[in-house]
Amino acid sequence: MKAEEIKADIVVDARGSFCPGPLMELVKTIKDAEVGKVIEVLSSDASSAKDIPEWVEKAGHGLIGVVQEDSYWRIIVKKIK
Amino acid sequence: MGKLALVLASGELEKLQAASIIGSIASTLGTEVLVFATMDGLMAFKKDVVENKAWKTSGDLGKGMLQSNVPLFVETFRQAKETGNLKLYACGMVMDMLGLKIDEFVDLFDDVLGVTTFLGMIEGAQVLFI
Repeated sequence: MKAEEIKADIVVDARGSFCPGPLMELVKTIKDAEVGKVIEVLSSDASSAKDIPEWVEKAGHGLIGVVQEDSYWRIIVKKIK
Repeated sequence: MGKLALVLASGELEKLQAASIIGSIASTLGTEVLVFATMDGLMAFKKDVVENKAWKTSGDLGKGMLQSNVPLFVETFRQAKETGNLKLYACGMVMDMLGLKIDEFVDLFDDVLGVTTFLGMIEGAQVLFI
């Protein structure tokens, strides 16, 4: 299944927030979520679109994909542990 | 992983912003982060300074940060304390010298320390002096 077609369990709308806002919102959400849940972060901040996938890998979660929309990115993450 | 120490000696907003972002992200990845605020870096946490956003800025970037809706370092450190292993310590020497009490600073500090104690805590850590 393509990243575009994944239905997230939780959507974190961090558009309008700058680094490290979107990442910190993801961190909080992922901490409270159950293992296996899919979380989608919406970010209008280009550096977050690059940095969040790095964080996801280092933190040991799963990056499903990064989808670029017109004016923002959708970063789709699965909580692994 | 590992241990990261940030020594905040500057009261410039740009430097405090950078330190708070580096420290908070490191803490979310399981790094133990120890922050020691001293000199102007401690004064930047005074309640009246925070309330009035009266930080020094080195240029237009800092002024822009004050006007835009970026999360400021006080908030970033607060979030990091909630989500990760980050602790902040206030320098006792500066407080003694100026007769300041910890309740004159925003409620972020885990303790008031001297340099010897802090050096003991950060043994083996990577240190960033800001």
